[in-house]
Amino acid sequence: MVDTKQLWENCLAEIETNVSKANFSTWFKNTAIVREEQGTIYVGVPNEFVKDWLANKYQKLILKTLTSFSEYVRGVSFVISKHNQKSSGEHGFESKILMHRELPLQDLYINKEDNLNPRYTFENFIVGPFNELAYAAGQGIILKPGTQYNPFFIYGPTGLGKTHLIQSIGNAIKQKYIEKKVHYVTLEKFAIDYINAVQSNKPNSFKEKYRKYDVLIIDDIQFISNKEKTQEELFHLFNALYEQNKQIIFSSDKHPNYIQNLEDRLKSRFSSGMIVDVIEPDFESRLAIIKAKIQEQNLPITSEVLEYIAGSIQGNIRELEGSLNAIIAATSLKNRELSLTEVKNLIKNNIRPKKNVSVAEVVKAIADFYNLEDKTIYEKTRRKEIVHARQIAMYILREEFNVSYPLIGQKLGGKDHTTVIHSCLKVKNDCKNDPTLAEELERIKVLFK
Amino acid sequence: MKAECQGEKIKDAIIRADRITGKNLALPILGSILCIASGKTIKLRATNLSLGLEIEIPAKIEKEGVCAVKGIILSAFFSSLSKNETVILVGEGDTLTITTKTNTVVLKTQNHEDFPTIPFIEGEEIVIPHKTFTEGVKAVCYSASFSDIKPEISSVYVYSEGEFLIFVATDSFRLAEKRFKVKGIPEGISLIIPYKNVIELLRVLPEDNDELLLKFSKNQLALVLSGLYITSRIIDGVFPDYKQIIPKEPITTITVLKQEILQALKVSNVFSDKFNQITLTARPKDKYIALFAKNNDIGETTARIEGVIQGDSIEMNFNYKYFFECFQSINKESVVLRAHGEGKAMVITGVNDTSFLYLIMPMNR
Repeated sequence: MVDTKQLWENCLAEIETNVSKANFSTWFKNTAIVREEQGTIYVGVPNEFVKDWLANKYQKLILKTLTSFSEYVRGVSFVISKHNQKSSGEHGFESKILMHRELPLQDLYINKEDNLNPRYTFENFIVGPFNELAYAAGQGIILKPGTQYNPFFIYGPTGLGKTHLIQSIGNAIKQKYIEKKVHYVTLEKFAIDYINAVQSNKPNSFKEKYRKYDVLIIDDIQFISNKEKTQEELFHLFNALYEQNKQIIFSSDKHPNYIQNLEDRLKSRFSSGMIVDVIEPDFESRLAIIKAKIQEQNLPITSEVLEYIAGSIQGNIRELEGSLNAIIAATSLKNRELSLTEVKNLIKNNIRPKKNVSVAEVVKAIADFYNLEDKTIYEKTRRKEIVHARQIAMYILREEFNVSYPLIGQKLGGKDHTTVIHSCLKVKNDCKNDPTLAEELERIKVLFK
Repeated sequence: MKAECQGEKIKDAIIRADRITGKNLALPILGSILCIASGKTIKLRATNLSLGLEIEIPAKIEKEGVCAVKGIILSAFFSSLSKNETVILVGEGDTLTITTKTNTVVLKTQNHEDFPTIPFIEGEEIVIPHKTFTEGVKAVCYSASFSDIKPEISSVYVYSEGEFLIFVATDSFRLAEKRFKVKGIPEGISLIIPYKNVIELLRVLPEDNDELLLKFSKNQLALVLSGLYITSRIIDGVFPDYKQIIPKEPITTITVLKQEILQALKVSNVFSDKFNQITLTARPKDKYIALFAKNNDIGETTARIEGVIQGDSIEMNFNYKYFFECFQSINKESVVLRAHGEGKAMVITGVNDTSFLYLIMPMNR
């Protein structure tokens, strides 16, 4: 094989001395060797004019020059190639990428009708143990929209790809069934739409608008709490769509039972189809996510660094992406691999400090939550509200911070460790039967994040 | 060489050929017209390496030969030529002597060996009415993008569908589509002709001819008329699938007289700001639409145009220029504007006219 790029450069340098400058820049600029087959060199040229002229006028010269550099060459032929406007080499490659990034007519193609972001697809969705159930359910919905899992309710903490999943479902359905009308809306937008419709005295236009969709995706449904009229409207809309076997998809950050001030009839309806949760990804899934992102960018990052990122940033995928973007930016800026120390420095702010709270602080926060003075928790009293708060504090200390039973007992006013064990068990069992308590616990846990 | 021909014919040919000689190029020979005297004709060739042209005129050839002369000088001389004269061309050494009844000029020639060849292409052929091509191109070409960044859309797209030949151009802010019924048009025609070449083609193509032969290969297109051969580079690419952006269900339909809206737009232009923005308001209960334009330095204007409005009320902003330009392609007295809601494109057509469609994106300001 011949190094065609080098060969052509040598050849051009030689030809340049043989023809006038004007001729050279007119006919030889933007040419390149596109391929080489059994000794025949194929030279890519920008258009038919150049092709004709080179073939008629310069064929001999080019062939002679080529053979003088490489004995291997037997013939030369000219073809019109699309991409030779850009000079070969890295620079050309870069500018090509840049152009591809800028060129698509984004404005024209983003469909305002369905609000779906074409960026969210299953191709770039990473499946791991933390979300495989949700993913499988999503695939089921795409196969049989409206009948398989209807409604589909997905919940989980922020930044774990809920929006990505439900938008991907929308995009996939749109692609598979061209006639189906898909619509993605956030609850906030839905509520605003409703308010506007009421305000302009056209509630029917609102009803009609949403009832014509075959697939309705509502994101962040938890914000519906306290919006009574919107809930009512959603209830009717739900019934109308459900009756006609139209697919409905919701996402939320909590289980429907824990959404505050949600009417029971909605709760039960949300729960009537398929409810899945996504949990925080494990180490392997995080590593897979990072690898996939890196592959998109095609950057040199060592596996050591990747594992460090996966190990140090836990939980939220969005934060993971943020740190990764910082690293990608720094790598392309410095144009070399980053060392582990550099990476550590770069993302040190993104890593959540390990929870390092004192017992007193936990007790204070919980006391504040229940509107009590923190010292009452330590007192020997059996007032109901204080006992409750104390038990919660014990439970949280045990479950969230892994403090030993005897230590908890000692810190909270010299209780026996069996008392602590009892309290923890009690809270655990109670919250299974009492959604209000479970929700309380969720809200308290958030305080320590 | 020595040749004799009719003044009027060669004058016309030279003037056409000079239009596409290459200007401001590194290669001076491109500014020349190549004259080839052979058989019973003189062939005049010119090219700018994007377009190539050959015109054949009948002549009496006494001695065959070739010469290349600066196009600008030839056309300057021939444009002063009065009608019905016989012209004698004599090429000798590095000069060309042109003799008419009243004049004799001696012109320096250039080395004709350097003159580029013009590609004569082999490929598919179709015959369409000449008018179809020129009208189709004229109806849409102003919508093409001027920028070279994306060659596919700084072009006019010509394709066939069913028994229609369709011309499209867009710069992503507006889109014009013109369709013609052409009998027996084959399926699968798809040509992307660069905008700049299209403009030149229109200038070079004569007005009156009924049949135009199109030949095309992957990279090149040729138009053949009697005695005239023009070839243009075409773009080997894919035109955006524009059909999916044409909205289907209008929420507001407005019918107005074309002349009135043109008048109103002319006035609005005086007042529009540096973004050329005008605001169109239509309410079904009124019997008119309003065009509002405001410029902080000049003042503001509201033009009211009587019309029929059906559907919802709308208020949308448009670039005056994009709005105005489409009316040249509508030859009906009334035009229909179809709005599809805020932030969505508006479609403009003539009343009962499905041959021309214009789509304009609103400004979101």
